[in-house]
Parts: sequence; C-alpha cells; structure tokens
Amino acid sequence: MTTIPMPTKEKFIVPIGPQHPALKEPGHFEFAVDGEIVTDATVRLGYVHRGIEKAAEARNWTQNLYLVERICGICSHIHALTYSLGVEKLAEVEVPRRAQAIRVLVAELERVHSHLLWFGVAAHEAGFDTLFMYSWRDRETIMDILEALTGNRVNYSANVLGGVKFDVSPEQCKVILTGIDFLEERTRHYLNVATSDSMFLQRTRGIGITRLRDAQRLGIVGPTARASGVIRDVRVDAPYAAYDEFPVQMVVETAGDLEARFVVRLKELFESFRLIREILANLPAGDLQVKRFPRKIKAGEVISRVEAPRGEVFYYIRSTGGEQPDRLKVRTPTLCNMASVLSLSIGHHLADVPMLLVGIDPCFSCNDRGVTISGNEGNGRWTWERLRQFGIDYYARKV
Amino acid sequence: MKIATMLGDVWQSIWQRPITQKYPFERLEAPVRLRGKLHWNPEKCTGCALCNKDCPANAIEIITVDKKEKRFVMKYHMDRCTYCAQCVESCRFSCIEMSDEEWELAATDKTPFTVTYGTENDLREFMAKFADANITTPAS
Amino acid sequence: MEGVLSITSLLFFPGGLFVVLLGLFYEWIDRKIIARLQNRIGPRWFQPFADTLKLLAKEEVVPTGVNPVLFIGLPLVALAGALTAALYVPMAGIRPSFSFPGDLIVTVYMLSLLTLCTGLAGAHTPDRFSLIGATRGLTQLFAYEAPFLLALLGPAMIAGSWQIHDINQYAQTHLWFMLTQPIGFIVALIGLMGKLELPPFDSPEAETEIVAGALTEYSGRGLAIFHLGKGVELVIGLTLITAFYMGGLGNPIYFLLKTVGVLMVLAGLQSLMTRLRIDQTVGMWWRYGAVLVLAQWLVLYVLQLV
Repeated sequence: MTTIPMPTKEKFIVPIGPQHPALKEPGHFEFAVDGEIVTDATVRLGYVHRGIEKAAEARNWTQNLYLVERICGICSHIHALTYSLGVEKLAEVEVPRRAQAIRVLVAELERVHSHLLWFGVAAHEAGFDTLFMYSWRDRETIMDILEALTGNRVNYSANVLGGVKFDVSPEQCKVILTGIDFLEERTRHYLNVATSDSMFLQRTRGIGITRLRDAQRLGIVGPTARASGVIRDVRVDAPYAAYDEFPVQMVVETAGDLEARFVVRLKELFESFRLIREILANLPAGDLQVKRFPRKIKAGEVISRVEAPRGEVFYYIRSTGGEQPDRLKVRTPTLCNMASVLSLSIGHHLADVPMLLVGIDPCFSCNDRGVTISGNEGNGRWTWERLRQFGIDYYARKV
Repeated sequence: MKIATMLGDVWQSIWQRPITQKYPFERLEAPVRLRGKLHWNPEKCTGCALCNKDCPANAIEIITVDKKEKRFVMKYHMDRCTYCAQCVESCRFSCIEMSDEEWELAATDKTPFTVTYGTENDLREFMAKFADANITTPAS
Repeated sequence: MEGVLSITSLLFFPGGLFVVLLGLFYEWIDRKIIARLQNRIGPRWFQPFADTLKLLAKEEVVPTGVNPVLFIGLPLVALAGALTAALYVPMAGIRPSFSFPGDLIVTVYMLSLLTLCTGLAGAHTPDRFSLIGATRGLTQLFAYEAPFLLALLGPAMIAGSWQIHDINQYAQTHLWFMLTQPIGFIVALIGLMGKLELPPFDSPEAETEIVAGALTEYSGRGLAIFHLGKGVELVIGLTLITAFYMGGLGNPIYFLLKTVGVLMVLAGLQSLMTRLRIDQTVGMWWRYGAVLVLAQWLVLYVLQLV
C-alpha cells in the first residue's frame, strides 16, 4: 500500500491537533501531504504536561501512590503498581503472596478494559461506529466488575504500600467469572470481525507495516512491538508481583501491520481471561498487607518495570532516607512508540494516519514531560523559581 | 473474506431493549465497596492525624479542641477529596469510613463541600473558638 | 388559479416546506434506526428540528479570506437546487407538480448541485480540512454519478420515456423493476448512499481525519441550510428509487411505506460498513459499479431488440 511520494516544492500541511476529533487528548501533529499522500510528519507534544515528577518530590511516599495513579486514566493501576513495587523493593519489604496475586488480578482486568477501549477507539477511527458501540458496550461489563471489586470505575486505588486494600470475596469471584465468560465469547467474535470482515480489513491489512528491524531500531514496546515480531514482555522476561506464580504466554505476530496489532491485542485478551480464571482458582492464602510499612525509606535507588497494556512502564525512584522521594522518573510506553507513527505515516494516505496513530494506542497525558534544557548556569536541578523565570525569559525571547 | 460480520449483533439489537440506562430516572444500585463521601467517628479518634498526613489531596483537617480529653473536630473538604480511601487505610482506630450511598455529590455552590464532623458539644465549642465563615450547617 | 397553485407547490406542498420537514423527519428515522441497531436509545423525534432551529438562530461567522457573498450564497443555491428537484418527483405519491420529457436528467443534476456547492464552499474557504473535504467530495461525485444515473436510466429505457411521471405510471402497472433489474436497484441504492455521503462513503466528511470536511468553517445558518439540503436530497433520492424500482408511487400510504422501508435498508447497510478511503471508493465504483450497470444495460438492450 505504500506509495512513493512525489517531490513537491510547496508543502501543504494538514494540522491534526491540539484539538481534533481524531485525538482524544491534545497533541499536535503536522502532516505535509501531496494530494492524499503524506510526505512529511512532525509532532509537538506537551500540551498536558502536569509536572507530576516534580510534584512527587514534594509529597510523601503514600501520597505519591495516588499522584502516580493519575498519570494515566486508563492504566491507573499499572502506575500505582510500578510505583509500589519499586518503593517496596527500596524499603526491602516482603509483600504477602495473596496481595501480589490480587494486584495481578486487577492488572489483568485493567488490561482487558484497556484493550477493549482501544479496540472501540480504533474501530471509530476506521469509521466503523457499530463495532465501536458494541465493543464499548461490552467493556461496561469489565468496568462494572472493577467497580464492584475496587470501589471505583477508573482510579481503582487498589494498592497501598505493602499490599492491597481489599480481598476478593467468593461472590465477587462468581461475578468476575460470569463476566469473563461473556467477554471471552465476545472477544472471539471481535477477533473474527477484525480478521475476516473484508471492509474492515481494507483499512488494516498491509497498512503501516513495521518490520522487526525497524521496530527494534525505533525502540517500540508493548503489543505494538509484539505485532512486529519483537519477543518482549516484562511479564515474561522479568516476572514481577505474582507473574512468576501465574506465568503468561506471550502473543507474538510477525506481520507488523495494523491487522497484526489488532490480532495481538485481542489474543492477549484471551491470555488475560485465562490468567484471571487461574488466579481466582488458586488465590494464595495470606495477609493482604504487611503489618507496618516504614514512613521513612532508607537511602538508595531502584528501578521498577511493569508491562502496562500499552507496553513497558519504567520507574526510577531515588530516596535520600526521608519521608519523600528525592527523584521519581517515569517513562511511559507511548513515548517509545510515538516515533514509529511519524516514520510510518510517510508514504501512507492521509486517511490512514488516524489509524496509524491509534495503532500504537497513544496516551498523551502519560508521555508529556518537561525537557531539561542544558544551560550555563548551575547544576541540572530546577527550582520552581528558576523554572518560572526560565519560562518568562523563554517566551520573552520568542516574542 | 466476509462482509457484514456484525450482522448478527445488529439483528439481535432489533429485538433487544437498548442497553443505555436513562440515568436520573433509572438508577443502578452502587456496589458496596463504592467510595463515596467520607464519614468520621469522633469517639474513637486519638488525633494522630495520619489521615491528614497521608491524604494526597489535603482534604482532611483534624482540629484539636481539647488535647487532654482527646476531643477533635474534622473538617472535610469534599471538593478536594479524590476518594482514594487512603485515610481509611491509614487510620489505625478505624474511625473513618466511606459511604457507598452518598456519591451524587454535585452542588451548585461550594458551601456544601466543606463538612465539619464532630460531637455536638465539640462542634459548639469549635464554632465558638474559631468563628469561620465557611461553615454554615455542620453535619453531625 | 394556475399561478396560485404553482406558488403553493413551490413553497409549501410538495416542494418547499413539506420536503424540508419531511427531510428532517427522515433524518430522525435514520438516526433512530442506526442507534437501535447499535443497541443505543437514539435521539428523540424533535432532535433534528431542534438542531436546525438552533443553527438557524446562530450567527454566521464568515472567516477572513473568503468572499462573503459566495460563502452565504452557496448554501442557498444548494438548497434551491434540491428543492427544485423536488418538484419533478412524485412526492408523497401524488402527481409531480411540473413535468416535461427528460426531467429525469434535470432532477439528477439538480441533486448533484448540492455536492457541487458543498465542494465549491469547501474549496473557497482557506481552511485545509475544507479543501481536502471538497477535493474528496468532488472526486467521489465523479465516481458514483455515472453509475447512479445509469442505474436510474434502466427503468427509463424499459418504460420508453425519460419523464419521471411516465416511468412512475409504467412501474405501477408492471412487475417491480427491483426484481427484473436487481443490479440496477442495488447500484442505485448504494449510489444514493454515496450521494448523501453516508457511511461507508463518508470520507469527504470523515470526522477523524478532516473534522467536518468541506463544511468545517460553516457554523450557523449556512450549515443549517446545507443540512436541510441534504435532508431534501435524502427524500428525493428515496422517492426516485421507490418510484422506479419498487412498483411506483400511487398514493401517500405507499410512499410512506416504501420510502421508510428503503430507509431502513440504508440504515442497516450504514451500520454494517467501515468507511472506505477515497481511492477505495473511486476504485470500487468504476471497477464494479459502472461495469455491472453497463452489463445490465447491454442485457436490457439486447432483450429489447429481441
């Protein structure tokens, strides 16, 4: 499907964003087009930069749990999980097995919700609103389960430092299993739609092919990478929480096009369903939390990696022995995948661009961050005053 | 290669009621674990203020009325609260709980969002001590 | 007396107000059916009316860099074209108010005026989404127009007249053309979807790519008038197809039953399909649509000779 663009003197640029129906969050893309073919692409991110990393340095370890949960609205549990795993490693606290299993259970339920949400959004971008409506209708099942299990539909707040807040009661087990059975049947149907509906395949098959080599070069992560044949999944490579006890089968496709991304994500759902059933059947006995989690955490640094629905989430946490972290660094999967959209879209039709963009399952709020600008003055630490002054100077220079 | 793979769903929907609920008229029962408005029991509180320290949104203020007799008043800012229930976890004397019924908390002005909890006696004393314009009708 | 009748038919029935209101009503039926097919509730009956009233009451923001006369005039021309076409079709199953030999061609091209005006309005606005939308809309026009016209000419050829009224009369007394010319019927139906830019042919106004296509810069009365024009076009298209292919339109009851029946089929088709890219749309029409209709024409011609 790739067509070689014709060289043109003047660029006709189609701006997508910051406000655009294709984007669910603000981001700015500029696509230079020649007729319908994209010849150049640039991106400008940072519209929803919230300074969370800086804010984390002013809050204590417990408060940060809820701050990082709000980095991403869809994988909120994953961020809290990554953070608490890191902090627990730093504090050398052994978390009870039951708590770890429940964490994995919520993480997998969240993956189901995230993938179904993505599936609906992707169908909408392709202009197949019926599929969008149905997949979101079915997603309500998982939302209800999560609400009943954790007490909230979106920011579950399942984690506390050193464990989880709640147990899974036998009645809830039954509700979850019924929901999962229903969703498994629906997912089979959606997989059938995504792989056999010829009109839908016209928009996905052979579009945006990312070869294994390119995927590795661009550093793509998550299901997007696995659709190109990259064998990488933190749940398998470096099992965290209870994934050593409940191993995951990695889903890998080699085609690398949009269809493969659909297939990988939908097949991962089956894997999640299997895992949820297994966890519910063999929930380890034990406490939900450690007796006492230290308020001050001894000096040291740690990295923590977790497989979010979109790919690998990476946290770096440093403590100087106080009640607050000295540094919290977050790297979210969308940031790794964003470059692939730009390089892929060149040579494709403008109509395919929203599909390519949504193919990586972007989450803009997650990846927006401040940029350190190396200057002459002082060390790399930015105080609020200095940052403010820099902003004023920067815009004064620009105007 | 097929076309119209969603035909089955579409056909079923013709004979099925829409899934959408007409919310204000039809209500679903909220799950038991739903985290709604915070409630505080002044009897058990020892004034350790861990809830205050751990609250990520600074929604809780514990105000000492009489330190010796362990009499405290809680000022709860509903509009700041993120309903994460960390305070429920932090409290070692389980005097905080979150309601699963009071979750439709929208209001047209900000006054109902500041709630003051405490025993009647403490509240009266507290009101006399700190005459605050923000507090209109203290809940008990 | 003649003059009064003409004015009435022009302004109220069957042209003018009646078609406009009917168009909005049919739009509601379409939206409601699609909603139900997607397991949703859908809008209440007055939603399209309320939307249009609101838009009509809104200020028209004329962007800088456009000719205000053209910007305001184009929607009016589009609506006028659609309303003129309404006079030549057996609206509500009664005799068309005006009729002359060859009015079929005039009607079909009056309908195209709407797409043309939308395209011009888009190309005229210095907005990049509008420009792309206009290009796509006009490209698509060239794709479906010929097969759609050919599909309508099939019954005309058998009836031996290019006058809509005559074909309608002929269709009422003979076997439904839908059964004798199934290919023509399908092409006409899908051609109507293309003409109305309904999914899967909605790439000229694909919201996830180019916001609202050619009409991106229209916000108030202009948008409402284009919208009304589209509703009128829907009604006329349905009337033409039912009059030609589904045993003609003898009275208002038949009109209502048959057009709503076709509308339901259209809604079903819309809810089952993915949006086509513009190159796929054009390819599909010329590769399959046009060839199939021409083949059917050939068959009809040979049969007539025999």
